[in-house]
Amino acid sequence: MIRVGLAAPRRALGLTGLVLGAALIRAALLPLGDLLSTLVFGGCLLVIGWSQRGLSSSEARWGRGHALVAGLLVGAVLLAPVTAGSLSARGLDGFWTWAALAALIATLEEIAIRGALYRRWSDEAGPVAAIVAGTVVFALIHLPRYGWAAMPLDAAVGLALGGLRAVTGRVLPCAVAHTVADWGAWFWA
Amino acid sequence: MTRTRRTGMAALALGLAAAALLHGRLAAPPVYDGIVVPPEPYRWESPPPNLRAGNKPPLSGDTTLPVLNGQVAGGGVQTGDNQVVIYFGPGTFKAPAGSQTVSCTIAPDPSPPPPLPGVEIRGNVYRIGCVAQPGGAPVTLASSYHLTLRFPPGAFKEIQYNDGGGWRALTTLRAPGGDPYASVNAPGFGEYAATAPSGAAAPGESIFSVLGRYLAFWGILAFVILFGAIAVVQELRRRRRWAPPRRKKRS
Repeated sequence: MIRVGLAAPRRALGLTGLVLGAALIRAALLPLGDLLSTLVFGGCLLVIGWSQRGLSSSEARWGRGHALVAGLLVGAVLLAPVTAGSLSARGLDGFWTWAALAALIATLEEIAIRGALYRRWSDEAGPVAAIVAGTVVFALIHLPRYGWAAMPLDAAVGLALGGLRAVTGRVLPCAVAHTVADWGAWFWA
Repeated sequence: MTRTRRTGMAALALGLAAAALLHGRLAAPPVYDGIVVPPEPYRWESPPPNLRAGNKPPLSGDTTLPVLNGQVAGGGVQTGDNQVVIYFGPGTFKAPAGSQTVSCTIAPDPSPPPPLPGVEIRGNVYRIGCVAQPGGAPVTLASSYHLTLRFPPGAFKEIQYNDGGGWRALTTLRAPGGDPYASVNAPGFGEYAATAPSGAAAPGESIFSVLGRYLAFWGILAFVILFGAIAVVQELRRRRRWAPPRRKKRS
């Protein structure tokens, strides 16, 4: 028997709109500078994550240690294909400030997408819809900054992080993997 | 294993495999949260004394393009360090009869001609040229091509061109947002350089713009940290409120 869910995932759709709206605000602020637009975007994600903090989940979760290792491993796998390239000439002088900001924004993105958004979609439409919605949102929010050319890669990474969220039941490994993959951009040109 | 975890494993494997395949098509690793990675330090052919220690030599670039009925296909060439990029449409370059391909190169010039009096060359001088193959005959231009050049930190006014008959200034378009790139419609093959008037200082910023930038940065960062702290405190309180009351031990 085929069952069709007719109830629209309204709250999940609303939350999806909020995250995409935050990305739109960021795109609109880009002419004022990358730093300002990124920090406003981060602030919006924080508000979204905070407003959804009461959502409970019945799914089984990995322990923090195992989740951390899983995040590091997935981050390393994401980074592996680019490590064959030449090292960049960037020194460590400016790295720490940049790395802290990158980690902050990556974590806020994961709290909003793999945290709040995933739980809403998972509750209202199941884990497959949650992973797909996260993948699409992740690819779309990076569109203004990187263009269409980067969209397939962003979608692939979004899919992997959504899978990691479903396997571990935690946001922590997604934030770790996302941050590790981001930091690689500093060292490999 | 639950259905959710099976789905997750499949998504994780598929996503990682797709990312590995797609990574190979990109020149550099991307950042997945939209923060721009600062550009690499400028690569100097002849670095100033204070930058000599960490300097990496600039890279050259080349490409080979097919010729059809004397017309060269459109395309682009860039140096390996992205300090110079050129683009041209089909038919911009014309090759002599009998040519099969055209080879285009961009290379830093270690001993460029001196600049005009009162002008300072900022950064490297690049030699751009195309020759027909086989034979190495010269290629002519039917129209200008697009050239983008990176300049080092400091003063910059315009890009100048030298075709062997001396330097001349070109109408230059500077990249917005403080990016260290400028572009011109390049009129020919020869040498190109970023220039500035001799002794010119880097454009200064007003105290208000500096103050505004710092206020924006620290203000928003403070907002993010404050909001985060409030969220953590609220979450801890909420958990404490919902925690089951401890039973008193019977005596």
